[in-house]
Amino acid sequence: MSIRDLLSPFSAWKNILRDPVTIPDPLNDRPGSDRYRGFHQNDNEKCIGCGTCEAICQNGAIDMLPVDSVATKEGDSGLRPRIDYGRCCWCALCVDVCMTGSLTMSNEYKWVESDPDAFRFTPGVDKKFWDNSELGYKRPEEHRLVSPERIEMREMNVESRIDSFAEIVHGYSIEEAQLEADRCVACGLCIATCPTHMSIPDYINAVREGDYEQGLRLLYETNPFSNVCGRVCTRKCESACASRHEGEPIAIRWLKRHIIDQIPHEKYREIIGDPEPSTGKKVAIIGAGPAGLTAAFDLVRKGHEVIVYEAKAAAGGMTRYGIPEYRLPYDALDRDIETIVSMGVQIVYNTRIGADIPMQQLTQDFDAVLLAIGLQEGRQTRIPNSDHEKVYRAVDLLDKITAGEEFHLPHCAVIIGGGNVAMDIARSIARLQKQQYGQVDVVLTAMEEQQHFMADPDEIKEALEEGIIIQDQCGPQGCEIDQSGKLIGLKTWKVLSIFDSEKRFAPVYDNGDETIHACDTVIEAIGQFSDISLLGDELTEKLEWNRGRIQIDSDGRTSESWLWSAGDCVNGPDVVHAVADGHRVAASIHCYITAD
Amino acid sequence: MADSISGKEKLQACTTLREILEQATEFERTARDFYAELAPKVSKKIRYLLDELVIEEQAHYDLFTDLADKPEVAEQIKLEIMTPPNNKRFSDCIQLPELGDKPDDQSILQYALGREQAAMDQYNSLAESAPEGPIKDVFTFLAQEETEHKNELEKIYYEVVHSGGV
Amino acid sequence: MTYQPDRSQYPNKKADGSLDIDLKSGKFLKLWQGPQHPGITGNMSVELTVCGDEVVEGITHVGYLHRGFEKLMERRTFIQCFPIVCRICVPEPDFNEYCYAAAVEELAGIEAPEYANWIRTLILEMGRINSYLMYCGGQAGSFGMGVISQWTTYVRDLMLDRFEELTGARIYHMFILPGGVRDRLPEGFAQRMEETLCEIESTMSDVYNTMYCNAVFKKRSVGVGVIDIDLMDAYGVTGPNARAGGVAKDVRKDQPYLVYPELDFEPILGQDSDIYTRADIRRQDLLQSVDLVRQILAKMPEDGSLMAKIPSVMHWKIPRGETYIRGECSRGEYGYYLVTDGSGYPRRVNVRGPSYTHAMALLERMIVNLNIADVAGLMVSLHTYPPEIER
Repeated sequence: MSIRDLLSPFSAWKNILRDPVTIPDPLNDRPGSDRYRGFHQNDNEKCIGCGTCEAICQNGAIDMLPVDSVATKEGDSGLRPRIDYGRCCWCALCVDVCMTGSLTMSNEYKWVESDPDAFRFTPGVDKKFWDNSELGYKRPEEHRLVSPERIEMREMNVESRIDSFAEIVHGYSIEEAQLEADRCVACGLCIATCPTHMSIPDYINAVREGDYEQGLRLLYETNPFSNVCGRVCTRKCESACASRHEGEPIAIRWLKRHIIDQIPHEKYREIIGDPEPSTGKKVAIIGAGPAGLTAAFDLVRKGHEVIVYEAKAAAGGMTRYGIPEYRLPYDALDRDIETIVSMGVQIVYNTRIGADIPMQQLTQDFDAVLLAIGLQEGRQTRIPNSDHEKVYRAVDLLDKITAGEEFHLPHCAVIIGGGNVAMDIARSIARLQKQQYGQVDVVLTAMEEQQHFMADPDEIKEALEEGIIIQDQCGPQGCEIDQSGKLIGLKTWKVLSIFDSEKRFAPVYDNGDETIHACDTVIEAIGQFSDISLLGDELTEKLEWNRGRIQIDSDGRTSESWLWSAGDCVNGPDVVHAVADGHRVAASIHCYITAD
Repeated sequence: MADSISGKEKLQACTTLREILEQATEFERTARDFYAELAPKVSKKIRYLLDELVIEEQAHYDLFTDLADKPEVAEQIKLEIMTPPNNKRFSDCIQLPELGDKPDDQSILQYALGREQAAMDQYNSLAESAPEGPIKDVFTFLAQEETEHKNELEKIYYEVVHSGGV
Repeated sequence: MTYQPDRSQYPNKKADGSLDIDLKSGKFLKLWQGPQHPGITGNMSVELTVCGDEVVEGITHVGYLHRGFEKLMERRTFIQCFPIVCRICVPEPDFNEYCYAAAVEELAGIEAPEYANWIRTLILEMGRINSYLMYCGGQAGSFGMGVISQWTTYVRDLMLDRFEELTGARIYHMFILPGGVRDRLPEGFAQRMEETLCEIESTMSDVYNTMYCNAVFKKRSVGVGVIDIDLMDAYGVTGPNARAGGVAKDVRKDQPYLVYPELDFEPILGQDSDIYTRADIRRQDLLQSVDLVRQILAKMPEDGSLMAKIPSVMHWKIPRGETYIRGECSRGEYGYYLVTDGSGYPRRVNVRGPSYTHAMALLERMIVNLNIADVAGLMVSLHTYPPEIER
């Protein structure tokens, strides 16, 4: 103890002249810092109501609720997060995980309200004074809690696939599939978008858990064509996926295929289970494509006798005769069909209703008839000289390729069309050319700009890799024929714009910008229609029609009480839509034939 | 189209607005009757196309008749032609088919497009040759009407024929 | 000058070794210190048995602040645990974030980027400064010097401002998460931090003059509450409590983690192991942390990656394993024992906080013979935080 110890405490007195450090008016003079985690903001235009914020909130502070100002639509649940600030701990995990980046936090933390319920509100919907605040916590770009990148699918490289019809896509390994499945936030927006409402988050969960039998059961609940849809589905689900907003959508199609690939085909039947006992009712189905066979599968499982009449030598419809083998190998398609047949569905091949068996016969022999004839006929452009013998329809050629029929392989082909069928024929011809002539010479012309092609972007990318030349914005004007009557090219005009303000077709050409695409063959792949001559004049006249298609009610039933129609011939071309249709009409037929 | 050519001569001979409109109305009537007669002959699947064409031609028929009956018609026409529609020229590549007894939907649309194209061309060339004044205005107006109709048909044509080839 | 209690009043020991305290005799009095008492270090209490103004027995009672975090975490995914852990220790939350993140990273095989490790170290040292500032105020207050806590609270608030601009929050920063840290240093942060550090140094100089060089404080703290060196290991004494007795325990040196190997510092040691020495060790530690913050800001890279690639958190599973991650917090060794079983949830989390040993077992041992008036001073001098005892 020293004298200093007695005196030095008095140095505290120097503070007597110091200004107070307290902020006199903190409500106004003390804003939160730039990245303060204050009250939430939600951009309702960006928000898709996926509910990942709700799922990650460890306090249960977020409830996804419907709001008046937001409508449910494809890819948007219509729900918005309501936050209970009695529970919120301001951790901002909801902001970090937000799949669209719509949810952020303002730097506002001072808000006084006498009503405690006011602290439970829906940001962005219930207007608050901080809604437009620029400051506050926003997720830094590289801070991602869910991987934005899809696990890459291993595929055959260009060199090894260009002269081969072997399947391009190898499929995921178990590790790859589980990593991809981990990216799914299980929001379920895909379920609503999938035409057949597959339990996508649940089967992705089965991949995560490695429970493939459960996965297969889930697939078969809604889709007996999972081998097919696991490969060539138009995957509308992926366009509704929450992950697509700030990254790539989950590879739902490949995960479906992965489940299918893991189970030996012999076990399918055992996992799916047996049909119900026989009811004694009989249903005839015309067309063994996805719609017809899905309906057949459902009806047979309900105990009805089902006979499917198929004009061709094998089942599958367009999935067999339209889609090339390198996208959908026949053995994969056969697995789906075999499972359906194993349930007791009888398929009568090479039998054309109308020609081999009259339609009236079916009405007499069966309790109900389903028309699922698809869109087998190719549309023609009917431009000048398009009746030349070297002008083909894509669907006809694809059919020949599948059936193994001979046809004159063009040395130089020009395709008209920008859809998947155009890509299929272009890539098939390219493969055959490589095999037989050693080089690819295929030009694909379409009226649309390349980024607006109806074809799958992957198809376009792969077609380009395979050496197919794509010339977009070309409107076909006529086929060019030399004096000897030989087809020498296709004349096109440059398309300046294609759709009007209502998104309806209204092309504008520049006829000064004319191109002659030299070729020895033109292949039209612009569209398809169904041949309904099997109905006969009388039935055609009796049925109600809707703009060229048989009129059906919401269950797929026509104006004739015994006849249903499903699949591409009523919906336009899409496999998964056809499957959904098959389920719908099967349910309706089942109700009808078991009514009494 | 033999009909159109003689129609053009007939129209050139007309000297008053009323005469022109009556002549044009007559063309619409023949077209309407043609489609109406064809309708029961085709498959019911595509009959809607002919039904729609009948309605459309009837609407034109009514429009032209009404115009001819109204004294203030010249003023009205002037207003109408302020915003001429764009000819999209898609149908230039559509060949005019021989319509047999059993035409398909594509042929019917091709035929109708060809007819609209011919009418449009005819009114356009009449408008060009006519001197400034109400007569020119009427031809321009008629050309415009036909162009609009043709554009509408082209949209339907695409929806029916070019389903995308998916 | 050492306090010499009068031992004549001691209760006798019974045959089984326990104290023979007969309350009815009128010689003894039960006195509860806490849980609501200005001299207690938080929500706990000490049940004192006194004889005159001397404590003959002290039994600690905790449980007022039990929130069951360890159990809660077993029902939360690995990412959901991250915002919980900071609450385990309110005055120095960042250690929980670091230990949890490091434990998860080790078991999941993730390595946090170097830049993130620099920021983590910065945050931990900032937290240490704040913890010591809080301690200084408390230690002074326990001996009746109210003004010190007002000064230290002010400069602690300035440091909270730095926390706020860096992490987006003042107390529960939720900034260190498995994989890395949330964000970079804001523009101009080093400059503002330097101003804050200068303010802290100036305040600590005032604190030194008024508290450490204060006859009253010295008289009441020198030689009081001595932790016997022999007790150190038996009672698991770590941190400044150990170093005040000359035991050189500092996890930052003994088992270096984060970027400590690249920082220049030596553990500060004392000798007397009494309240005064512990207070002084903490004061020096605080100034050392100020220096460490300066070193970090000078040495850290300009920029770098914030986060390692982590699995998608919604379905994050960690393989079977266990680990113990420890670090040197302001009170001693702080550690997380994490067991995983391959599922998406921790199988077991155990938090090893220094307060558990210091505030319960050690305090009960040391409180005997103390004057009632010094109980608060002793408790604070052990620098314990009840939220971390209870979890």
